Amino acid sequence: MEQESLIVAGVDIGAATAKAVILNDDEVLSFSIIPTGFSVTKAVEVVIEEALAKSGLSMSELEYVISTGYGRRAVSFTNKVLTEIICHAAGVSSVLSQARTIIDIGGQDSKVIGLDNNDNVSNFVMNDKCAAGTGRFLEVMARVLDVDISEMGPLSLLGKEPCQVSSTCTVFAESEMVSLRAEGESRENILAGIHRAMAHRIVIMGSSVGFKKDVVFTGGVAKNVGMQKALEDEIGLEILTPEEPQIMGALGAAILAKAELAKLRKVS
Amino acid sequence: MSNYYDELLKLCGFEDNDMENERPRIEKTFQKIGLDAEDMKTAERWVRQNHDVELLGVRKLLRAWLLELLDMVLARDEGKKVVYYGFPSIPGPGMAIKAASKEAGVDIYCACPDVILCHTLGQIFNKLTPILEAGEENGLPPGHGLCSLQQIRNGGMAKGIIPVPDLVTGSSYYCDMGSKADELLHERYGHPAIYVDGSMDSRWGEYPDYLPERVEFLGAQLNKLFDKVKEVIGVEVTRGAWEKAMATSRELYGALGRLTRLMMADPMPISGVEVGLALQLTAGSTGRAMSEGPEAVSILCDDVEKRVKEGIGVVEKGAPRVLNFIQHFSDPSIIHMMENAGLAMSATLLSVPPKKYPPTTYTTLGEIRAEREMRDGHYHSAFGFAKRFEEAVKDLNMDGVMWGYLYNCRPLALASYTVKKWVEETTGVPTLALEMDMYDSRNYSVAALRTRVEAFAEMLRARKASAGVGRR
Repeated sequence: MEQESLIVAGVDIGAATAKAVILNDDEVLSFSIIPTGFSVTKAVEVVIEEALAKSGLSMSELEYVISTGYGRRAVSFTNKVLTEIICHAAGVSSVLSQARTIIDIGGQDSKVIGLDNNDNVSNFVMNDKCAAGTGRFLEVMARVLDVDISEMGPLSLLGKEPCQVSSTCTVFAESEMVSLRAEGESRENILAGIHRAMAHRIVIMGSSVGFKKDVVFTGGVAKNVGMQKALEDEIGLEILTPEEPQIMGALGAAILAKAELAKLRKVS
Repeated sequence: MSNYYDELLKLCGFEDNDMENERPRIEKTFQKIGLDAEDMKTAERWVRQNHDVELLGVRKLLRAWLLELLDMVLARDEGKKVVYYGFPSIPGPGMAIKAASKEAGVDIYCACPDVILCHTLGQIFNKLTPILEAGEENGLPPGHGLCSLQQIRNGGMAKGIIPVPDLVTGSSYYCDMGSKADELLHERYGHPAIYVDGSMDSRWGEYPDYLPERVEFLGAQLNKLFDKVKEVIGVEVTRGAWEKAMATSRELYGALGRLTRLMMADPMPISGVEVGLALQLTAGSTGRAMSEGPEAVSILCDDVEKRVKEGIGVVEKGAPRVLNFIQHFSDPSIIHMMENAGLAMSATLLSVPPKKYPPTTYTTLGEIRAEREMRDGHYHSAFGFAKRFEEAVKDLNMDGVMWGYLYNCRPLALASYTVKKWVEETTGVPTLALEMDMYDSRNYSVAALRTRVEAFAEMLRARKASAGVGRR
């Protein structure tokens, strides 16, 4: 008997961006990433519509949806809600099965997730009440230094003498940037210092989980090559980055949705 | 004649005649606190939403807490000498002082006011914030890493809700912040304070048998406290009084032990919130805990037993069972969020009865108390904490441990990493070190904690689903 295909979606509504992934069995049909903006419900609508349009499917064809991220409860059409920690683990394991540690840096929080040999989450730690060590910290610094956020990483790699950035508070770090500029420090050195300080903070936070090979970097900040380099220097290990690091949570949600749907079909 | 507070009080287990007898005290207390009809409506909603008032035992526990509030607020007006102790409080010295006073015919009020305000103005009225703010406005400002329990006590005194005591004791027992805050409160309100110091820095592995000089040091401090009680209150605290207090408390601790065993049923029969109400009464009160506590907890046990027999639970059958350090004191919605995430918050470290030891060889009351409390393992050493968790996980067959700590709490924050590592290594049970504040939920709201708690629940469920792992 021919096996029916499983068309499912994962929706990850983060503080900064909303992501959706549509799967047909193991094949990613489409994905979409948009800024979350003010209205979370609007972001939910737009992100899934975009992903559906790209795949040529309609909402009624989605058989199971799992939502994740801070706005996970705002997804009206979800079948199940899961935290981004479990979803990131599933997403990363599907593309880099050798992963044992995930560093995820999103807009509002940062996490270090440990995986066991069965790809299950064995431990995690997250910082979700302070902007330091998050994408928002980098956004604020980009504005202060008048740099496009996409340029921050490449420019930081040119900094030969990273500045000492000591403040762990985003607002006070802003004042520190002003002082450094007044002292005539180069933008490259300041950026290198910012990346080093942030990596240092994340590595300290993640020490209770530990950093086992292979370490995989996800989230929007994983697109920043300067951050990847700073983390590698701090940890002393090579860090892998998936091709689309920002959609790992949504991809994991979709993979878990597929598993749930398969279970339901088996029962019925 | 019915009154604006009658509905709430009925909800909290007061009978009609009970209410009539207490009416003048209730009205005077509510007036002092500034609780009006609108507050009663809010409280009714809050209690219905957060407490299992269908159960008579829960209602009786709420009644015990409310009576304790009345006793505390009116203590001075009712001509009592007032003694406060701090939390982490050990009911031991407080109970000994109370028992000795009773024997001497001196009517005193002895309690931990912070704990009582948390459980009444927080858990019943959802109106703790103005007290915290008053504490912050009067010398213990926000953002300075100060303990919210001290802010609550300060706020209560600053607003004239609770009396300025005749003696404050024990707040430097385990943590260095308490004694500093007491210095400030002493300066502000002029009450005598006795600083009972303990030596907090243990060698790793020093539990349950401590170096004799440490026990002797703490014992001498406690003896100094009892001398001060004699000087200020005029009551001699004797070994006989303490033994009598211990005998009186046996019924209550027996009932609490029964409740702990019932909470191990699958599905978990009642919320951990109610367990907190029962357990923490013994930490905050030496009065109503002993007079109302045993009956209230026994009734609750009967209620719970019925649920267990009928297979009724407040979480799904098979939900991972989590050992907590202590339940949230002031905001029951935090524990409910954890249970809604699918965790059975069935036990706390305080649920686990202390082990039995051979008879003491010490002779003074202070030393006997010191040895006993140090052997209980709380706060006196990080290793003691770790071992207590390990033993409790094994004894109660738990699936996970949640170590809630406040970043500025020296005994808890310092031990958080070590305890997590130890418990995971010795029991194989995952441990979540969760930064929170058990007394003030303004900075650590449900929303701020939810993702970590839900992820922990998902992790424990996945673990349980794997064959041969976790509780069977």
